[in-house]
Amino acid sequence: MTTSKFDRRRFLAASAAAVVAPYVRTARAAGSLAVGFWDHWVPGANDALAKLCNEWAAKEKVDLKIDFITSQGNKLLLTITSEAQAKSGHDILSMGIWYAAGQAANLEPVDDVVQALIAQYGAPPAAVEYLGKQNGHWIAVPATAGSQMKGPCARIDFFKQYAGLDPTKMYPAGAPPDKALSDKWTWDTFLVAAEKCHKAGFPFGIGMGQTPDSVDSVGAIFAAHGAHLVDAQGNITVNADATRQALEYCKKLVQFLPPDVFAWDDASNNKWLISGKGALIMNPPSAWAVAKRDNPKVAEQLWTFPAPKGPKGRFQPSIPFYWGIWKFSKNKAAAKSLLNYLSQRSAVEQLVQASGGYDIPGFAGLRDFKIWAEVGPPKGTLYHYPPSGDQIVHVSGAPAPTSIATQMYTQATLTKMIAKFTQGGESMDKVIAWAGSELEGFMRV
Amino acid sequence: MRKFLRRKSTIAFAMALPLVVVITSLVIYPALYSIYLATLNKSMERFVGLGNFSFLFKRETFWMVVKQSVIFAVSAVLFKALIGLFVAHCVHNVPAKGQRKWRGMLLVPWVLPPAMSTLAWLWLFDPSYSAFNWLFERVGISPVPWLGDPYWARFAVILVNVWVGAPFFMIMYLAALKSVPEQLYEAAAIDGANWWQKLWYVTLPMMRNIIAITALFSLIVTFANFDIVRVLTSGGPVDQTHVFATYAFNLGIQSNDIPLGACVSLFMFPILGIAAIFILRDIARRGTEA
Amino acid sequence: MATSGPANPDHAGRAQRGSMRRDRRRALIWSYVFLAIFVVFFLTPPIYMFITSLKTSAEISAGSAPWWVSDPTLKNYVELLTSPIYLTFFRNSVVVALLVVLVTMVVSILAAFSLSRMKFWGSATLATGVFLTYLIPDTLLFIPLFKIFAYLHDLTGIEFINHWWILVLLYPTLTIPFCTWIMIGYFSSIPKELDEAALIDGAGYFQLLTKIFIPVALPGIIAATIFAFTVSWAQFLYPLAFTTSTDQLVLPVGIVTTLIKGDVFNWGQIMTGALLGAAPPLIIYAFLMDYYIAGLTAGATKG
Repeated sequence: MTTSKFDRRRFLAASAAAVVAPYVRTARAAGSLAVGFWDHWVPGANDALAKLCNEWAAKEKVDLKIDFITSQGNKLLLTITSEAQAKSGHDILSMGIWYAAGQAANLEPVDDVVQALIAQYGAPPAAVEYLGKQNGHWIAVPATAGSQMKGPCARIDFFKQYAGLDPTKMYPAGAPPDKALSDKWTWDTFLVAAEKCHKAGFPFGIGMGQTPDSVDSVGAIFAAHGAHLVDAQGNITVNADATRQALEYCKKLVQFLPPDVFAWDDASNNKWLISGKGALIMNPPSAWAVAKRDNPKVAEQLWTFPAPKGPKGRFQPSIPFYWGIWKFSKNKAAAKSLLNYLSQRSAVEQLVQASGGYDIPGFAGLRDFKIWAEVGPPKGTLYHYPPSGDQIVHVSGAPAPTSIATQMYTQATLTKMIAKFTQGGESMDKVIAWAGSELEGFMRV
Repeated sequence: MRKFLRRKSTIAFAMALPLVVVITSLVIYPALYSIYLATLNKSMERFVGLGNFSFLFKRETFWMVVKQSVIFAVSAVLFKALIGLFVAHCVHNVPAKGQRKWRGMLLVPWVLPPAMSTLAWLWLFDPSYSAFNWLFERVGISPVPWLGDPYWARFAVILVNVWVGAPFFMIMYLAALKSVPEQLYEAAAIDGANWWQKLWYVTLPMMRNIIAITALFSLIVTFANFDIVRVLTSGGPVDQTHVFATYAFNLGIQSNDIPLGACVSLFMFPILGIAAIFILRDIARRGTEA
Repeated sequence: MATSGPANPDHAGRAQRGSMRRDRRRALIWSYVFLAIFVVFFLTPPIYMFITSLKTSAEISAGSAPWWVSDPTLKNYVELLTSPIYLTFFRNSVVVALLVVLVTMVVSILAAFSLSRMKFWGSATLATGVFLTYLIPDTLLFIPLFKIFAYLHDLTGIEFINHWWILVLLYPTLTIPFCTWIMIGYFSSIPKELDEAALIDGAGYFQLLTKIFIPVALPGIIAATIFAFTVSWAQFLYPLAFTTSTDQLVLPVGIVTTLIKGDVFNWGQIMTGALLGAAPPLIIYAFLMDYYIAGLTAGATKG
């Protein structure tokens, strides 16, 4: 939420620009720009982004308007689709996960900006390119603000006491993962730990609702078991053994979760952990950041580390964010200039700093900041947050073609399947048949 | 020419013109346009006729939404009517001076903007912090997953809708009760009628028109309800509380498939139309009888 | 419940009246009991909103005593009332509501006057038909309206979507039919002799409207105005679909979409925001309750 502090700063920036204006009146007519950024969950992160933008605007003499749009209630998605329909609105919008790829036809290609950044800072992970590059063109710039990993964030004390595991030893601060221990950190050990914590009265809180947190977690479980609903060519592959295995796994897991996980939204798992009721959630560090403020005793016991390994690999749920420029934008040159500015090392470092380490920069060469080693308490809690080692950065729904995957994501097909199989008591075949018909519907053109 | 302008019927027409313009351009035209939209394909480039409808009819989720919408609307209106009638009688029994303050307090749910009061209910039903569950735990009842379990979620949505709408029924029925002549009751009492018979043979028949109109108005509004479901459950869990309006919003705007969204919305219209025709015909008939 | 208990014809008249008085008292006590129960049911959510609005974030997250405030604070109120965003929402809501009321009343009064007094081709159908527009719910219209306004933007270059003035165009479709209907009811009950007297005195139709109809039907006008204001203030779907930028939002949408976000224990502020957002209709209702109710029941008594 933009606080009054932000508005004061914006007012100062605007008035500073106004003072400079009389001398450069003609240059100021070089444009106005309206940007809509994702409303960051970490308190204070929005301010940093706004500050950088206003600095750029003052330098370039552009009349800048900034909006922060929340992803709660799908507001950001709604904004994207309504602006695409109306062919009017902001010039730049934050687009997370599949949203940029879904709007590829309406976005201005930004190959020039991204290629320059790759040359400077190295290539981004495959998942980021998979989403950001459509039909051979980069249709949006990988953004720092908002890009996140959604691996486990667990209570060290509960894990040690009830599950017999020590995340600080598995993934120690300031050092690479312990090979023996991390190899044993599989989805099966995860299940056993879930059972133990459930018996102890502090269950894991894995959402099974229809919002991104839930869909991402389940996406990683399915991918780790090799279960894909749709393959890269667009064929429906839901009716496979791997799917059945994954569904069975989820059924076992659900028994150890709180009964209303099927209605959880993106804030529910945060609340679960911060209130002290839960032993583990799959979430970026926003929960830890808020706990630091509201319930420090819980925050001291939190540790963020990679997701478990499955038969097909260690898939890490993630949400890459992008900044996209609409084709109908009237000031594309300014937009590209701003995005380039925001992707430079110093800007990225400020953003990551302000987000408390939440944001993961898209380009490989920008992942060496010290912040992840330094934030605490407990010190080193985020050291293993950025992806490394044997982790495969994964987006729920991949490798399906983006038009189908977007719908699988927004309609939460995966979690609905699990809900039907467990809470709904339907048979495996019925659930798979239902999924098949849903997916057929997504093929609609 | 001037005579034409000064003619009564011309002035009358001119005065009614803004109304006609507003309704035609912003209600009738979009409604017709939505019929057109419903016949296009997803990217709105091709005409597919009734293809969207046949697509929808094959989806299990769609029929679930139809069933849910009907159950939601009918049960909510039924409860609102019953509660409204009951409470109206209670208020009517109270001496006239005291009625005003009771009436005042009871109408509050209707006065508050539904989106705001639904937020209060959302917080009351919160999975981790429900104040109701807190009370339950105090007396040994296990906490209820108000919004997590499909059946409880449906109950919650209907409950909030009844909470918002019952006061409206109460106030309408109260006004109607007051207009029933006292002599009819006295005549019935002389004939030896008990309270149930008075209700059935005197009160309800006299109030029939009001009951019908209020029920119709409420059926339309409840059937097309959006705010409560959207804020409380967004149609979840697993689409089990979706009604036409929220499903149309989900498909049309969120999933970027406007023709399909238009189809879902249009489906409401025939159902409402049939209900309206029946009830209005009933009223008209009784109007000519009286 | 009407008077309960059968009248027993065997008893003398006085005993009969006595038993009726007893039954009446019993009915009264039961009425009070049930009324109290329903008042608790109806008023619990707003009272809970108020209690929560006085709590700090820490107290809410502790979750120890939801129905009582142990550490009351006005911080939430202060923060919201000094927050430029919230005040923007409030201002937008006020501006939109007032403009809509103005448009609605002008259109409805003119139309009602015309339909109740003057006959022209189609006036009877229009008078009954205007109510049928409610059969077409806003949930059906918002999608095609979206496309229509996008098209108008292409055509004229004026941006409609994502600006608050689009709401001033849309809300009247929700308020005009009912207000017209109310006004027709009130105008019809004005005796025709008044018209004729005025016309004989040489008054034009406009003077007839302003000097006679409006003053006489003033209660109805106030009732219709209140209705138009309340409906505009509470609207949720149209603003949700048509406005997205923070500075264009009206209160209901603003609170639900901007206050509910990552800061998970913001419920104190959310409840405060919701309460303040519900305040104007509530205040109007408190002061003008009789007009409010009269407007609603216009249909009941005037048929």
